[in-house]
Amino acid sequence: MTKDRLRVLAWQLVILAAVLAGWEYLTGIKAISKTPGLYWIDPFFISRPSAIAARFLYLMSPNVRLSIWQMALSTVQSTVWGFLVGISTGFLAGLVLGRRDRLARIFEPYIVAFNSLPRIALVPLITMIFGFGLLAKIVLAWSIVFFIVFFNTFQGARSVDADLIHSARFLGATERQIMSSVIIPSALAWTFAALTPSISFALIGVVVGEFIGGESGGGLGYLIIQSLGTLNAADMMVALFTLGVIGIVMALGIKQVEARLLRWRPEYQKRRS
Amino acid sequence: MTPRVRISIRGLSKTFGSGPREVPAVSPVSFDVHEGEFVAIVGPSGCGKSTILNMVGGLITPSGGEIVVDEQRVEGAPPSQVGYVFQKDTVFPWRTVERNIALGLEYRNVPPVERAARVRAAIALAGLQGFEDAFPATLSGGMRQRVALMRSLVVDPEILLMDEPFGALDTHTKLDLHAELLSLWQARRQTVIFVTHDLSEAITLADRIVVMTRRPGRVKLLYDVELPRPRDVIRLRESDEYLREYQELWHALGAEFRAQP
Repeated sequence: MTKDRLRVLAWQLVILAAVLAGWEYLTGIKAISKTPGLYWIDPFFISRPSAIAARFLYLMSPNVRLSIWQMALSTVQSTVWGFLVGISTGFLAGLVLGRRDRLARIFEPYIVAFNSLPRIALVPLITMIFGFGLLAKIVLAWSIVFFIVFFNTFQGARSVDADLIHSARFLGATERQIMSSVIIPSALAWTFAALTPSISFALIGVVVGEFIGGESGGGLGYLIIQSLGTLNAADMMVALFTLGVIGIVMALGIKQVEARLLRWRPEYQKRRS
Repeated sequence: MTPRVRISIRGLSKTFGSGPREVPAVSPVSFDVHEGEFVAIVGPSGCGKSTILNMVGGLITPSGGEIVVDEQRVEGAPPSQVGYVFQKDTVFPWRTVERNIALGLEYRNVPPVERAARVRAAIALAGLQGFEDAFPATLSGGMRQRVALMRSLVVDPEILLMDEPFGALDTHTKLDLHAELLSLWQARRQTVIFVTHDLSEAITLADRIVVMTRRPGRVKLLYDVELPRPRDVIRLRESDEYLREYQELWHALGAEFRAQP
């Protein structure tokens, strides 16, 4: 690590420590002495780091009914499934419609209409149809990821360089070989570019689904909505913190996958050397 | 005995668009290309020389006339004995150098062992050793065009159509590739049609030059290049014969650049 990077890291740690210390301190002193409940910053709303840590430890212990681990796992499972199913169906649909002009023109108004519907508005309906388990959350994540991937792949399948197809044909490719060696790789390049936004949106979809999803298959979204019911800011902070960690880890993982899959691209080539 | 005719272009014409927006690109053009002959088509830009090549390759349908390749009329699909090198970079960016050159062999289901051997030989011929696993994004324009050329040649086409393949390269790289192309051609003697707007390139490479008029292109002159082979691309340029041929062609072509439509 260079000196410059060390310095940046040091400052980042200093800021983190200052924020946590300030948070802890300001939520611990009274604004007007002797008046009960009047804090400089009221921990009722944002809790305090020490209280959050305590709740975190408590929720991690095996003697709670639904531990933080189970909830995190549930959220991750729904997200990953919604993501995977969304990617594969979105890719297939994008590829087919991208190469079949008439089909694309027939479906266009439906796709545009469905995509302009705010997906959050579908949560109650999806829950009604698919129940309170994981499935509803997966469907919700899918309904968002599908369109992101679909539009990207569609664009990619349409903009395949005609001269690449001609070259393949001159080299003796059959139509099937053109599909597998030119059209699919070209379209995939666009699909891969949609991976990072897709995973973030899948997580959003799942959490919103969990808001009304109830306890069975309840993930971190369930914990948030429960904490709202009991006015428990500490639990809410625990859920938010865990979601943040999950979001970061997933995004970083996908970035790695993307860099590997698109390693032939100039931007990844330069980074390597 | 004259060698047999491999490509016969008869009264070929092309008009783009229709009605009042009709643009004639090629007026009826006729010439033959013989077995093992290297023919260059030169002319001012927009004279339809690339259009002719695209029609020979079956990429564009002619408006009139016909093209016969080995007694077969070209219709729609490219004839299987024809290779094509584009001016534009058509190397597949997601494939390494090695896998780009192997493309045609994969399409033709050449067994892996033979495929690897032929690709290796092609890489050696093109001086691309050490770059087998490189992606095109890391290569220079000249190297990428070298890969494209070897990709076409590795499947051993008997007829090679080249559409300004070195048009985007700097002079030095261009000369390098001329020398390479000539030595490869000398070994195999493919029948070649090479489209260019660069007169010296045409003289360096070709046996015969088809000089086109401005749009809509007609054949203005069929010119035989009398320079002996094998040719040295650098020395050639200093010889008196080269200069004489260049002047003669320059006169013919210069009139076309100056003529107002």
